Amino acid sequence: MIDYKEHKLVNGLTVLANYDECSAMAAVNLLYEVGSRDEEPSRTGFAHLFEHLMFRGTKRVPDFDLPVEEVCGENNAFTSADYTNYYITTPKENFETALWLEADRMMGLDITPEKLQVEKSVVIEEFNQRFLNRPYGEQWHCLREMVYTLHPYRSPVIGLTPDHIRNATLEDVRAFYERYYRPENAILSVSAALPAEQIFEAAERYFSVLPGRGTIERRGKVVEPAITSPRRKVIESNVPADQITIAFLMGERGTRDYYLCDLLTDLLAGGESARIYQHLVRQRQIFSAANAYITGEREQGMLILTGQLNPSVTIQEAEDALYGELERLVQEPVGDYELRKVQNKFEANITFGELNVMNKAMNLSYYRMLGDMSLLNGEVDIYRSITAEEIAEYISTHLNRNQSATLIYHRKR
Amino acid sequence: MIQRPEIKPIGMPRIPHYTALSAANGTPLYALHNSSQGVVRVSFVFRAGTSYQRVPFSASTVVNTLSEGTANHSGKEIAEALDYVGSYYDANIDRDWSVVTFCMLKKFAAATLDIAEEVILRPSFPEEEIASYCAKRKEQLHVQRSKPEQISREVFGRALFGEEHPYGVTSSEECYDAITTEVLREFYLSHYNAQSTFAVISGDFGDEEQQRVCRILEGLPEGEVPERTIPEPSPTPQVRQKMEGAMQSCIKIGLPLFARTHPDFVAMQVVATAMGGYFGSRLMQNLRERNGYTYGAYAAMINLDRSGYFVMSADVAGDHTEEAVVEIFGEVERMTSEPMSAEELELVRKTIVGDVMRVFDGPFGAADVTIENIQNGEKNDYTERFLGEVAAITPERVREVANRYFQKKRFVVTIIG
Repeated sequence: MIDYKEHKLVNGLTVLANYDECSAMAAVNLLYEVGSRDEEPSRTGFAHLFEHLMFRGTKRVPDFDLPVEEVCGENNAFTSADYTNYYITTPKENFETALWLEADRMMGLDITPEKLQVEKSVVIEEFNQRFLNRPYGEQWHCLREMVYTLHPYRSPVIGLTPDHIRNATLEDVRAFYERYYRPENAILSVSAALPAEQIFEAAERYFSVLPGRGTIERRGKVVEPAITSPRRKVIESNVPADQITIAFLMGERGTRDYYLCDLLTDLLAGGESARIYQHLVRQRQIFSAANAYITGEREQGMLILTGQLNPSVTIQEAEDALYGELERLVQEPVGDYELRKVQNKFEANITFGELNVMNKAMNLSYYRMLGDMSLLNGEVDIYRSITAEEIAEYISTHLNRNQSATLIYHRKR
Repeated sequence: MIQRPEIKPIGMPRIPHYTALSAANGTPLYALHNSSQGVVRVSFVFRAGTSYQRVPFSASTVVNTLSEGTANHSGKEIAEALDYVGSYYDANIDRDWSVVTFCMLKKFAAATLDIAEEVILRPSFPEEEIASYCAKRKEQLHVQRSKPEQISREVFGRALFGEEHPYGVTSSEECYDAITTEVLREFYLSHYNAQSTFAVISGDFGDEEQQRVCRILEGLPEGEVPERTIPEPSPTPQVRQKMEGAMQSCIKIGLPLFARTHPDFVAMQVVATAMGGYFGSRLMQNLRERNGYTYGAYAAMINLDRSGYFVMSADVAGDHTEEAVVEIFGEVERMTSEPMSAEELELVRKTIVGDVMRVFDGPFGAADVTIENIQNGEKNDYTERFLGEVAAITPERVREVANRYFQKKRFVVTIIG
């Protein structure tokens, strides 16, 4: 349960405050509602490259990290498909330093050709380290390309290819900044043992000089057409074990189907006692590791079933086993005990996820972006309302081979 | 123009102190109360790390399969019971210690601790489950060992301490074939006893939960602190391993030093932080920010029970491997030859203070700090003395320890890729 107060500046910046009496730290989180989904198809990976550039200094603060370090702070950021999130934790006495730094880099950057060049190399090394220089590294590129034909979720956050990053120009940087890095598009939250009034007053002091410029020009909503016949790709590669990943397109965040899919994947793989682990990893020993989860994007994300095969198992057996688990949930709808188990787990997970100031500040910004603050503390009730019949119905209408995209890694022998 | 706010003094971080209790059999329990969030954590810590094992993988298999079956319940029933109340169960092992942790909502503490009692005191290591676990782990390790970072970790450990050294040894996946219920039972009986265990309870607990944990500890059999031999490290100066198709090189450079009890440990931790312990550190600035060779570089002092080492690490673009190694040694040289500026030292201090404060954010961080302090034979006032020593350190002292230990011929260099 997160309590909060909210305040809006004249320029459009939203500010949220949570009071945490126990912590000596303050967490300052700033979310910009721009992610890889907002990129041009020929400039993928740009939102993430841009996130890196936000740490390259401004005319007034040439080194972003130094003032953070001077107040015992720590800062970082991440880019997702839907938003870009920056955060700083400092001892609460010095939380204003974080506000000042964020306000400053919302006012203008100082990106030179040299800085852009170095940052491109860093991001290309990140691309190499996380996606190319490891077995199965390109799996998300392949899978997204199979599932999405129109939607920008087709491209992973890192980008389709390092070439898109290589080709980014200073003009791209300027235009992107102008369009998205402004108060109307940002949500600031602070969690600390500080009164909300003090936080709002400080936010006014640091951010109100930034001009509001009205509405943000965004691309129209893209609806990804349903998958209507099986999509399949087999990669022969020098991987240590065969792997199967099945993806289904699912509902947007906030829809009932979204929660249903989340719960359904927990029945399958949420914890040691879950079905896939008990049946397919332990008893039948089909997989050495297996999982089911949703990717969690704001628009149409994916429901994923995946596993790495034990050496003597065929892809066919593995695939049938995964569909067998879905089928079983249709034939014998899940019992009350098991349903209550995963619902209890959601409640516990949410509690464990709100134990420090950082997580609370991040959640505040994220739920504010979703637009329905009743979800911040209300999702447990939604999970608790989902029934076995709904799950069976959903599986039989949506989770079949005709609506799937399947990626197979086959080990070269 | 927005004015920069003044930096306000923060004083010394408040270090939570535990209440030291002991079960009737003398096994220590450390209690750290924090009533804010309705959650409780209990950790059981055993002197049962991998350096105590005679049979490869026996120590990790014991701690990882404690929950795979007990005298009264199957592994599946245990998993069900914990999942039903949403409790977390986590088993962890390093070279010296194994740790079993339960996190629970306070309202489900009784149910969770009933399970904890069985898992800690009455594991049965059922044959079928053990065979299934070993087959799975063997395959997972095989998969892991196709990743450069895993190979790099293992190669570096062996190069630093020696192929057969308890702190460096790695074993082939096939060794899982020799693990049996009997092997596990033997290791469990000789290492999970009242004399080599302690527990930490933290969060929103009351007398009842505290008593319950004491009763679990009282069920541990009497035994002895297990013996082991830790020889001197015998390092290999250079290992270079090619990987077909690799785009990056995993570089690790370091040297064996000493445990946290050594008088120079804290000063060396300051050196490590300056080298690669924060974003503004020398390796990050050089390799990432100036040269773009890498996504990240770090340096750290690693503490072991009977040893310790200094390590620097970076995954760099393959065609910049040589330059990166030259730059790293350039930074080593600079650390030994020039005293650090007062400004840089102040930043390093603040990084260390900030890191300590961040660990204490949330109801469970204090438990981790307590576990580490107890493992090192200290109390939580160690953390205060540590911060005091960091606050008092001078640039000359930093240069002096760097100079004492950073001799180029003592460094171990491993490059994978």
